Amino acid sequence: MNKIKTTVIGSYPVKINNQDLIKKYYQQKEINWEKYIKKAVNEQIKAGIDIISDGQTRDPFIQIFTRKLKGCRVRNRTEIIGKIKHHQAITINDQIYVKKLLTKKQKLIALITGPYTLTKSCQDLYYNDEKQIAFDFASALLKEAKKLEKQVDIISIDEPFFSNHMPDYSKELIEKITKNLNTQTRLHICGDVSKIIPEILEIKVDILSHEFKLTPKLLNEFKKYDVNNKICLGSVRSDNQKIETVDEIIKHIQKGIKTFDNKITQIAPDCGLKMLPENVAFQKLKNLVKAGEIING
Amino acid sequence: MYELSKKTANPAIPDFFIKKEEYITKIIDFIQKNIPKNKPFSIDIIEPELKIKTLKQLHTKKLLSRTIYNSIHIGTTPEEEKTLKKYTPKAAIIVAFNPKDKSPDGKIEILENGANLTKTGLLEKTKKIGIKKILIDTAAMAPGDNSGAAIAAIPVIKEEYGLPTGCAIHNVVEKTQWLKQFKKEKNTVDASSNINIPLFGGDFAIYGPIKNSEKVFPTIAWQDILISEYTEKYFGTKPDKKHPRRILNKNE
Repeated sequence: MNKIKTTVIGSYPVKINNQDLIKKYYQQKEINWEKYIKKAVNEQIKAGIDIISDGQTRDPFIQIFTRKLKGCRVRNRTEIIGKIKHHQAITINDQIYVKKLLTKKQKLIALITGPYTLTKSCQDLYYNDEKQIAFDFASALLKEAKKLEKQVDIISIDEPFFSNHMPDYSKELIEKITKNLNTQTRLHICGDVSKIIPEILEIKVDILSHEFKLTPKLLNEFKKYDVNNKICLGSVRSDNQKIETVDEIIKHIQKGIKTFDNKITQIAPDCGLKMLPENVAFQKLKNLVKAGEIING
Repeated sequence: MYELSKKTANPAIPDFFIKKEEYITKIIDFIQKNIPKNKPFSIDIIEPELKIKTLKQLHTKKLLSRTIYNSIHIGTTPEEEKTLKKYTPKAAIIVAFNPKDKSPDGKIEILENGANLTKTGLLEKTKKIGIKKILIDTAAMAPGDNSGAAIAAIPVIKEEYGLPTGCAIHNVVEKTQWLKQFKKEKNTVDASSNINIPLFGGDFAIYGPIKNSEKVFPTIAWQDILISEYTEKYFGTKPDKKHPRRILNKNE
């Protein structure tokens, strides 16, 4: 059995120093965000995580993308005011920076907020056609992903809105991105996905990632299907400050192995950790790593 | 400065930059002695602790009703906010600085919701403090860091909120490295940079140092007249009796 890698889903909590930012403004110095990215990356490295993300410190996962896409305007919600197009690098420069912080042993995962989630999170003032918005987002994200695949080891698409509603064009939408990439892809859908497992399994993607710790019934639900994808097993909760013990995580992974056997290639928190206090997020990752080491033997 | 203001028909408000604690009392004493009792002034401080101490002194000296607090921004601390609620100046400048997005949209975002850097937008925060008169500074960024967006944001923010809007575009000139080779001309560029503000519909220009007043006031007055001529011809908007066009251009 191949060793299970430890990784993250997305965000990591890093306190942004507003005082420092405003001082930079008064000194008329350019704002540099790298120290926040470095903090998120270093915490993951310190915890022993194998596949590391940039921590999504710049913005919530919607605005990271909509802030830099043509046709979008960030207000209380992002407003769509024109045709959505990719016209500048969105996360690529951060990934290049993160790569420099990693050793050869550590891998890099890039995070892309899915086209459907972006669509449902924005206020449309232009298209009046939800499907077209979603596909235009997908085209724009594909352009970003094509740039990312040269720099990173895995690209993860985060589609939490699928657990609320999976439109009939979901497969086509996600594959518009994944089919055109030459790197490993992961699809993360949080929430209770028990009713949409057949639809999820139809999507061409290498790794499926779900909140198995928050929703353990998913382990039984997935047993009913023939799963060909690799699995990223959500193993610590991201919505709860209680730190899972190493034993608790090991037992959870063992249950996961009973369902998925050697298809589990990654273990991770259930979702992004941004909402947790820094020390809690760090300890959760540390315990996850310890549990992974024991499982791997 | 007040003489130039009278001569060119452009209102003037002195902005006092307080850098150290030992200057607080001296500057407040200066204001009490030298600034006419019917005139406002602005207090410009970066350090939150100094701001708190200054607010207390302004309250003791009964000057808060004439104070323009410069400024409220993403770095405004909870302690500062608490003091502002206790000792509330009549007016404040909000600096619409958004480190995530320096475009006009980003500046609106920071005013509206704080861009996830503050719990609420800066406008709501200022209103909750109880400040009645709000001015918006569109936050001129460092040279090369979308500094022109501070000018472009003026009509956008005015359109959105109808609040007095301006900026300190001259700060960008001060930090422009290539201007160092034009030592003599740099001061002219500095003073004339302020012309951008009325040209884009701005209501106030924060400039400095005060010795630049001799260049800044006629420059702004000239621009005001130009705009007034055009707007009267096109929109029929007549300047009031105190407008530079009425005071300086009596024959036209």
